[in-house]
Amino acid sequence: MTEVMIVQDGQLLRSIDVQAGKRTDMVLLVMPGVSCDIKLDVRLVGEGAEANVYGAYVCGGDEKVKIAVDMYHDVPHCNSRQLFKGIAGGVSKVDFYGKIIVAQDAQRTEAYQENHNILLTDGAKVDTKPQLEIYADDVKCSHGATIGRLNEEEQFYMRSRGISLEDAKVLQMISFIAPVLENIEDHDERETIAADFENAIRNIVKQL
Amino acid sequence: MANDILLKIEGLRASVEDKEILKGVDLTIRKGEIHAVMGPNGAGKSTLSAVLAGKPQFTVTAGTIEFMGQDLLAMSPEERAWAGIFLSFQYPVEIPGVTITNFMKTAVNAHRAGKGLEPLKAGDFLKLMREKMAFVQMKPEFAKREVNVGFSGGEKKRNEIFQMAMLDPTLAILDETDSGLDVDALRIVANGVNALHTPEKAAIVITHYQRLLDYIVPDVVHVLKDGRIVKTAGKELVAEIEEKGYDNL
Repeated sequence: MTEVMIVQDGQLLRSIDVQAGKRTDMVLLVMPGVSCDIKLDVRLVGEGAEANVYGAYVCGGDEKVKIAVDMYHDVPHCNSRQLFKGIAGGVSKVDFYGKIIVAQDAQRTEAYQENHNILLTDGAKVDTKPQLEIYADDVKCSHGATIGRLNEEEQFYMRSRGISLEDAKVLQMISFIAPVLENIEDHDERETIAADFENAIRNIVKQL
Repeated sequence: MANDILLKIEGLRASVEDKEILKGVDLTIRKGEIHAVMGPNGAGKSTLSAVLAGKPQFTVTAGTIEFMGQDLLAMSPEERAWAGIFLSFQYPVEIPGVTITNFMKTAVNAHRAGKGLEPLKAGDFLKLMREKMAFVQMKPEFAKREVNVGFSGGEKKRNEIFQMAMLDPTLAILDETDSGLDVDALRIVANGVNALHTPEKAAIVITHYQRLLDYIVPDVVHVLKDGRIVKTAGKELVAEIEEKGYDNL
């Protein structure tokens, strides 16, 4: 079962060991108005362990969001996937730090990490530092990070179909974080959280 | 009759990044008419369509555009859409994460809100979608696909005409709709455009080649060269261009 965490103000420290053949799924959600410092250590300690960590953050004011993930592959044949997507508006500041550490005998590791960000304002700041530390030689690992703006070609296309600029931006931002939210298993919970994000995003767009 | 006029462009000049592309365009389109705008690459054909649809990157430096008595240049792109203008893009934009269903539901309901109407009921909307998708021979599963993502050239253009059918515009602007189409897709697209045409509506067909105009037969043909309309005639002009090329006009 996927664990869904609505992150509150302040520090969040979590350390998780995933045993042989077990799987951990986690969705971290940071709503507008929340400033937090998340430190997550995931250790794959038994063969065949799997960890999937997803995160979405939306900032529209003066939030400070810090996320640090260390993903340890200690033994062979483990899989991990991380996907973090976020939107930074206002004068918010986002720091993302993610590291995949593959031990020397952790052969046949598959580990992926992605962090994608949209900057809404000139005042907002995003720093992203994806890292790989690989000591094994038979592994599939990748990481990627992007920081971009809302695409104006998409906006014009939508507006030419009668979708208002405000609705176009809301649609772009919701669809941007949707790949994270879709990992929330429970249908009702997913719909409620998606609606909360949509309302929050609409409020941010109104202030742009 | 003056009230037959849908679109009146006078002395239109437009620039992009300080480079003047349109250098004084005059064009009047009446109800029921199909106009072809032909011309060599770089003549300003796509700029004309972008300016009509209100693309923000283009600056109108002189001239007026009146659409059904309204000052088009004072309207946002979405207001122009609500008023009945539709642009079929030469390069339809991919919108990752947004399904065709969600995209069209938002668009259709925005048009309805513009007219003071309630949103369409879910059942009625899906019925309309199915009907219009069948009209351009799009498979029903496309409704769940992300807008234009991974579509072939022909699928993108059919998607444009599907959207046109959903929104039922008064003035359709087809920007190089024939580019990248095989003959079957060309026929489907052209049949779609013809079927949507009525004596109350008009269309501007922008194209480099004769090919599309074999299927969508224009009433008036204009040649746009270096930002100006240099020649206007009936459909016989198409054959003349094909024979002589743009350089000898």
